[in-house]
Amino acid sequence: MRLKGKLIVAAFKMFFRQKEAIIWTILLPLFMIFLFSFVNFDSLGTVSLGIVNHSQDTVLIGQLHGIKTLKISTGDENEELAQLKKGERVLVLVLPATFQPSGSDSLILYVNAEKPQELQAGRMMIQRVLDELVFKQSSIPHPTLQAITVNSRNLTYIDFLLPGILAMSIMQTGIFGVSFSFVILKKRGILRRMLATPMRPSDFIAAQVIMRLVVLMVQTAVMVGAGVWVFKIHFIGSMLDMLVVGVLGGVIFLSIGFALSGISKSEDQVAPLANIIVLPMMFLSGVFFSRASLPGMAYTITGFFPLTYLADGLRNIATEGATLVMIWPQLLGLTVWAIIAVVLAIKAFRWE
Amino acid sequence: MTDSVLEVKQLTKHYGDLVAVNSISFDVHRQEVFGILGPNGAGKTTTLEMIETLRPIDSGTVILDGLDVKKQAQEVKRRIGVQLQASSFFDKLSLKELLALFGEMYDRQVDPLALLDEVELRDKARSYVAALSGGQKQRFSIAAALVNNPVILFLDEPTTGLDPQARRHLWGVIRRIRTEGKTIVITTHYMDEAEELCDRVAIMDRGNIIAYAPPHELIRKLIDKGFTKERVERLANLEDVFLDMTGHTLRDE
Repeated sequence: MRLKGKLIVAAFKMFFRQKEAIIWTILLPLFMIFLFSFVNFDSLGTVSLGIVNHSQDTVLIGQLHGIKTLKISTGDENEELAQLKKGERVLVLVLPATFQPSGSDSLILYVNAEKPQELQAGRMMIQRVLDELVFKQSSIPHPTLQAITVNSRNLTYIDFLLPGILAMSIMQTGIFGVSFSFVILKKRGILRRMLATPMRPSDFIAAQVIMRLVVLMVQTAVMVGAGVWVFKIHFIGSMLDMLVVGVLGGVIFLSIGFALSGISKSEDQVAPLANIIVLPMMFLSGVFFSRASLPGMAYTITGFFPLTYLADGLRNIATEGATLVMIWPQLLGLTVWAIIAVVLAIKAFRWE
Repeated sequence: MTDSVLEVKQLTKHYGDLVAVNSISFDVHRQEVFGILGPNGAGKTTTLEMIETLRPIDSGTVILDGLDVKKQAQEVKRRIGVQLQASSFFDKLSLKELLALFGEMYDRQVDPLALLDEVELRDKARSYVAALSGGQKQRFSIAAALVNNPVILFLDEPTTGLDPQARRHLWGVIRRIRTEGKTIVITTHYMDEAEELCDRVAIMDRGNIIAYAPPHELIRKLIDKGFTKERVERLANLEDVFLDMTGHTLRDE
């Protein structure tokens, strides 16, 4: 027990005294998010308006459709409000069944409080169209616009990206971190030197695994923390659940790292092997962009990638506030991969 | 009757069709320096690794300090100190931290500075192994092999690649460890080193022991056979010139 503790302490010292380690595991992912935070995929100079029409009116609707700045969609009330809450709509206009331009029924306008500028612009446009209709008919009782503020979450690209980058860096820490350092320990005879002592080899492996899982939890906490305080992501999930999913993903990728170090003799051999596994997942597991745009077969196949399960799981917790029970398909996928990877690691790992 | 601390009997190792070690037998006496000599590929390292429990024994027996290496590997590991060829250590741990960690692997709390004194590296206690010279690295790996206060110390080609000053310095360290009551088994392909350090040697070639005696006896036997060098030995050689001009003190340290 005492030895285990000492081995863990030594593992941490060795890890954190390498400046590269800090750069790769913590700073690089943050830098990537920082870069992507300048890319604005969201606003294209339009205001999205949802219309729920319970009335017979076509005049007002027709006028609104004439305004190019408004991106109009129509649907039923629940649907449109859900979209508003997610941040997909800036405004949702509800025309009551009794509405007519000459009547006095008020229109209800749900507004997304988190997008004040777009909301003001859109509201002014609707008001003007309404005023013009009323002016033409010069009727004294006229419809009014009643605004109801809704606090939406307004998911942005960074909200999508951050859990993806986090999943990716967990993969990198696991695969590259373990495979490279163990190939070096093996090649330089350091593992062999330890076999000449009465220490149980599994103690050494356990210390390394524990250290790396802790590093990965720190990574998760730092990324989510930076996300919330620096990049202002809308994190509504449980941090604990994030850690659980992160550690499960970590077990998969650490094991793959051990397996790779077992079948490679040198850094030159392990690098291409690690890249063959890492690169396709990096680009096809929905880290940077949604997998929805992939063609049918590719979509199906990439759905089974361990990084897809990890990225989706983390994303659902972070942005949708999903609980562990709600992401059971991802947890199942991760667990199956973890079993496969651990078995592979045990079969492939070599001390010399 | 001399007290044997290591008894090797008919030790054999095959790699496929190749017989790396061919049924060799020898004894090592307590508190002697025993040399295993031979050209590269003679089977020296394989022999050592089987005794050190690092390689399975195909056949034969090895009794170390009364323990059967095949059956009591774990207990054997506690009684031996091992310095491997091109031994290396973790990066980013200081010499002091490394010795403490290796001590823990034997359930021991060692005094790293005392061990470093033994190999004259106290002033490098806070350095990393990567910052050491070749001779210092070898001395450090000897210190690491001493953490468990072993009965026998195994040194595999400890002076390969060192300059003449560093070699002589390491010989001094090895002699001192021996006077502290340890048995030392050393492999080398430098005959001057064996003659200088070893009480007895076994010369190996192609997996066999072809000679087994104290160095001076082997030399006398050869002379008795009527051997003479083609050129009569000069009173000095180039190494003497080199050491005379550059001194015996260590460099780069």
